[in-house]
This record gives sequence, structure tokens and C-alpha cells, in this order.
Amino acid sequence: MAAPVLALDRVTKRFAGHTAVDALSLTVPHGVIYGLLGPNGAGKSTTIRMIMNIYVPDEGTVRLFGEGGTGRDHSPRIGYLPEERGLYPKMRVLDVLVFLAEMKGMDRRAARAKALEWLDRLGLADWRLRKVNELSKGMQQKVQFISTLLHEPDLLVMDEAFSGLDPVNAQVLKETVLDLRGRGKTILLSTHIMEQAEKLCDHVCIIARGRMLVDGGLADVKRTHGGRHLLVNFDGGRGDADRIFADPRLVTKSDSSGQYAELELAPGADAQEILKALVSSGARLSRFELAEPSLNKIFIDLVGPEAVTAAAHPEERARG
Amino acid sequence: MGKILAVVRREFVERVRRKWFWVMALLGPVFFGAIIFLPSLMMRGGGLKDIVVVDGTTKGLGERVTAALDRAVTPDSHRVFHAVRVPAGDRVIDSLTAEVEAKRLEGFLILTDALVDSGRADYQASNVSSFTAIETIERNLTQIVFATRLEREGVNPTLVTRARLPVALGTQKIAGGRATKESAAQSFSLAYFMAIILYTAILIYGINVMSSVLEEKTTRIVEVLVSSLRPFQLMLGKLIGVGAVSIFQFLIWAVSARYLISTRGHLGGGGRGGGDAGQVFQIPHVTLATTAVFVAYFLGGFFLYSAMFAAVGAISSNEQEARQAQQPVSVLLMVSFFAMFAMINDPNSPLAVTLSLIPFSAPIAMPVRWAAGNLPVSEVALSLAILLAAIVAVTWVAARIYRVGILMTGKRPNIKELVRWVRAA
Repeated sequence: MAAPVLALDRVTKRFAGHTAVDALSLTVPHGVIYGLLGPNGAGKSTTIRMIMNIYVPDEGTVRLFGEGGTGRDHSPRIGYLPEERGLYPKMRVLDVLVFLAEMKGMDRRAARAKALEWLDRLGLADWRLRKVNELSKGMQQKVQFISTLLHEPDLLVMDEAFSGLDPVNAQVLKETVLDLRGRGKTILLSTHIMEQAEKLCDHVCIIARGRMLVDGGLADVKRTHGGRHLLVNFDGGRGDADRIFADPRLVTKSDSSGQYAELELAPGADAQEILKALVSSGARLSRFELAEPSLNKIFIDLVGPEAVTAAAHPEERARG
Repeated sequence: MGKILAVVRREFVERVRRKWFWVMALLGPVFFGAIIFLPSLMMRGGGLKDIVVVDGTTKGLGERVTAALDRAVTPDSHRVFHAVRVPAGDRVIDSLTAEVEAKRLEGFLILTDALVDSGRADYQASNVSSFTAIETIERNLTQIVFATRLEREGVNPTLVTRARLPVALGTQKIAGGRATKESAAQSFSLAYFMAIILYTAILIYGINVMSSVLEEKTTRIVEVLVSSLRPFQLMLGKLIGVGAVSIFQFLIWAVSARYLISTRGHLGGGGRGGGDAGQVFQIPHVTLATTAVFVAYFLGGFFLYSAMFAAVGAISSNEQEARQAQQPVSVLLMVSFFAMFAMINDPNSPLAVTLSLIPFSAPIAMPVRWAAGNLPVSEVALSLAILLAAIVAVTWVAARIYRVGILMTGKRPNIKELVRWVRAA
């Protein structure tokens, strides 16, 4: 399709002296899953709120579906899952869904039918007349998720798509997102969990401190920012691994801790030499693999370790 | 437009579905009924009281007082006392005190011959704040002392009785150039009730709007809403929706009030409550014009104050903060409520006229003046015009604060920041 679904042109937003988003330009093509990646405070939510017309950019323009008009004007075609989730706690599940669909310009009767269909599909049919606050957290997440999809948007915008989801719901979300893309819809999601982005996204854009660092198809990004990568898993002894990884003739960058290491090979270095050195130093290996760099590795290299430490989840911090 | 309507419908349906709405719908009339009936119930003071007249007089004064008290009735024809005369003597007071202590006796009245000259007597009882009892004793003693003094001067007792004929002053309000059937007491009741209902309803429903804004803000659902419709549309939908609930509530109250008034005779104490001419509170005759004034000022006041309450909800991030932040708004309303008492007394005083023109006090002041006195329509029109202009201005300011506030988290903005929000395009 010719016109991109979303195009930001040098969009800037400042809050009380600090610049949250700084001249950010990006283009989301039709029918892709687009990952907006960055540590907390990078400006992801602010960018998304400008797309949704919740904030007005100080400079620059947001263009949707190749047409004029704000996110609010196009809201019937957009589904929005905000970072902080919430529903009316005292309303009945079905009523909330119908109301939110009405906000998207949907007809009441159609909204009702569609809501029932979705509730049935996600196993919540028996809960339709219960109040939202009688539902478990996981069920509320499903209801919220339905509310963003009910009106069959062409563009789905999900801020911190996976935050707070239990594994079951994360799976439901993933499958639904993939299904939507299969039907030609476009999905823009922001996350700071790189493993999920890597599994889902066709296209990624990494931002930090309000500026874009990388933008492109996942494969391209990996190719250009990759270099040759070596993944090593130890099985007990590490031998002289630390000394070998520190040799600049062999390795330019290493991310190593405990039983796992991800290395970037120096230009002209031979992986076999490293293998030989490791084995003869007494290291026991369970994996030795030449590979593409993980998105996480690229992210850390680009954003800088300090930003990630500040941003990442505890479990990610433990890994390094 | 469809979206505003959806917001209106949600506010209305969700509110009317809740228990508290029906609690209010039922308790409202009970509350207003209590205001009507309590004064007469309290004045009645409940039941026949046993008292003893300790008679230290000569010339039959004690017998006369005892007989008069025993006969005395309240305005609604209840006997007040069962009175017994006991000659004064040693230890009589002590034993009567013991009887009162043991609750076998309400109290006793001590009479001496000094009564006629000095007008002094003593009443000792377990409950000396019983309005009816004290008033009955005083009235009867005054009459008897008055008659006795005249008789002592040689005036014919029959003449004295005839001279004591009480005067009943009939009061009528002049409206539209002629006297109406409405009495002063009715005007007073009407003004008083309108003020209470306006004050309560504007406050309750204003705070309803505030909670609704706060709920959307704290659950963050507002982000989804604001990405679909303009903040002003959302606020407008809320005001109209909650306003519709209040009108519905009034309709329920009006219907039950009609019922209550029509059965007031039965409810007011076994069929005797109906015609107590001496009472302060009377059911007024509510004309169509009065209803129109009431509804116009209620809606005006509701929109004016609810817009402010919406802004207060938007700048607060939890219930506690909101409770604090709404105080200036409630106080503004309270001032006009308390000024009502002065205005009922003199509906055309400069204070009353000023308050009925200031838009923040007009919603209570004008209906009160309307009910209490005879107002030219032009004055009402002027006040309504000012109120309308104020609603537009206040809503404009409130909407700007609301727009920024609902998306803010963290600390409450100060006045300077609020001014900046309002100025920002």
C-alpha cells in the first residue's frame, strides 16, 4: 500500500523545560507489527500519546492513514491500549465494552453483539453481567484487551503491550496480534522487553532520551548492527574464559556472566581459535554457536548499559 | 454528538442503577417529612404529664390554678397535665422530690400568695426543657394572676373573661398586585424548603460530578476516552448526565411529596396534625411560576457549581485531595445558604438583592427571595441573565483546567499553574 499507516515528522514535545520527544520522525508501513523500543523515560508513551492526540506536539506533525486530521478524528480506525490500564470498576463487563465501543463511534447493537462474541472467545461469557471489580486481574486484562479490538481498528496502538500480563494472557495477546497482522491490520507496540519484541516485530525503532537511534526491519537492524556474534554456554567450568574474552584480537565486545556469554568477534578473528583456547584452558561447553546478535544485545549497545540498568526489569538486570 | 449522548447515558444509567440513588429517593422524603413533622412532634412533648401543685396560698388561688392546668390543652387539643393539688407543709417538698426522682411524677409547682403580687412561682421537674409544659404553665399562671389582680380591684369576673379574648392575626402575601391565599408562614416554609433542597441537591450532585471525574482519572480510563472524544465533550456529557439524574430524583421526590402532603393528616399523629393553626411550618401552595423559578435556578446552580467541581476532580489525584480541594467551592455555596435566614426576613434588603444578582449565590438567593416576597419579573430575568453568562465563563475556565488536569499525575497544581493552564491555548 502506498501511504504509510502512520508517519511522524520531526515531532517534538517538551514538558517544563525537559524535552521528552526530540524531533522524532518515523514511518509505520501498512500491515506490519512495529516495535517502538526504548528504556523507561525514552519518550515512548509521550510519542504514543501524541499519535493518539492526547498530547499535542509542540513541533512537527503526525499523519495517519495518509490523510489529514488528528488521532481523535481517526479514532474509529484506531484501537488504543494505554500504558496504565483501567476500566470502570463498578460497571458490568458487557456495559463497559459497549460504552467504550460507542466512544469509538460504534453502534450500540453492533457493539453488543461483537462484545458477546469476544467474551465468548476469551472464555468470559459467564462474566458478562458481573462488575469489573469482581473479576480477577487476568480477566480484567482480557476485557481491556477486547475493548481495544472490538471496533475492528485498522491500527492497533499498544503502550507497554506486555506489561503486567500473566503468561497466559501474554500468549493470548501475541496470538491475537499475529492474527490481526494476518488480516492486514497494522500494530504499533511499545515495550522495553526485547525478547518479546524480537519474537513479534517485523519492524523496530529504538529510541532513547526522545531521539531515534535505529529504525528498520528487524532483519536489517540485526544485519547492520550485528557484526559476527558468538553465543557460548558453559557447562560447569569456565576455564580461562575471562582472559580469552578480554583479548582484543579475538573479541571486541563481550557480555558474559555465569554460565552464559554473548561475544562480538573482532574483525578477522577466527571463532575456532576461541573454541580451541577455551577447551584447552579447561572450560566445559554445552553450546558454542555463531549467531545473529539478539535484539537485547543491540539495544544495550545502542542505549548504553546505564540506561538499561535504570530501565530494565529486575529479572533482566540479573542477566546482565 | 453520539459520543456525548453515550457519556450522558452511561452517567445516568450507572447512577440510577446504584443502591444509593434509591436510598436517597426514599430517604429524601423521609428527611423532608421529618423537617415538617418534627417541630410539631417536639412541641407536643409526648403524653399526659402528672404534676402536683403545692398550694401555699389562701383564697382558693391554688384550686383555680390546679383546675386550669388540669384543663389546659395544646393547640391540637391534647391535654397537657394531670394536675393534683396538695396543701403545703413540712417535708411535702422532700417527698415530692423523691417521687420525681423515682419518675412517678413529672414535676411540681410551688405556689404562695406572693404569686399575685410578685408574679413568682417555682416549677421543679425532671425535664424543665419541655417547651409545651413550661409554656402551658406560664400562660395559665399569667392569665390567672391577671384575672385575680383585676378582681381584687373590683372588676367583674365575667368582664375579665370577655376582655381576655385572644387576637388571631391573619397574614397574607401580596403578589401580582393582590393578596394571595398564601400566609406568611407558608411563604417562610416555602423559602426555607427551597433553600434546603437547592443547597443539598447542588452540593450532592456537584460532588457526584467530581467523583465521576476522579474515577476516570484514577483508573486512567480517561486516556482512552480523551483519545476518542474531546475533553470538553466528555465534561459536558458528564454534567448533562448527572444533571438528568438529579432531575429524575426530583421527580421521584415531587411525586412522593404530593403523596406525603395528601396524607399528612394521618402521618402527623393519628389524624390530629392537619389543622394546627399555631405552627410555623405549613405546606405552601406551590405555583407554576415558583416551580419554574426553582427548576431554572437549580439547573443554573447545578451547572455553575458542577463545572467547578469537575475542575476540582480533575486537579486532584485521590479522594482525599479532592475533599480538600472542593472546600472553597462548598463554602461558596454554604455562604449563600446561610444568608437565606437574613433574606427571608427581609427579601428586599440590599444584601438580599446583591446576593440574588451575584451568580454564585443567586441559585439559592433568588428562589428564596421569590418565595418570601413579591419580586418583579425583570429582576429575576436580570439575575438569570447574569447567571447564564457566569455559567458560560466558569465552564470555559473549568474546561481548560479539566482538559489539562485529567491527564496530570503527581502533585496538585497551585494557583499559578492553574492560571497558566487556563491561558494556554
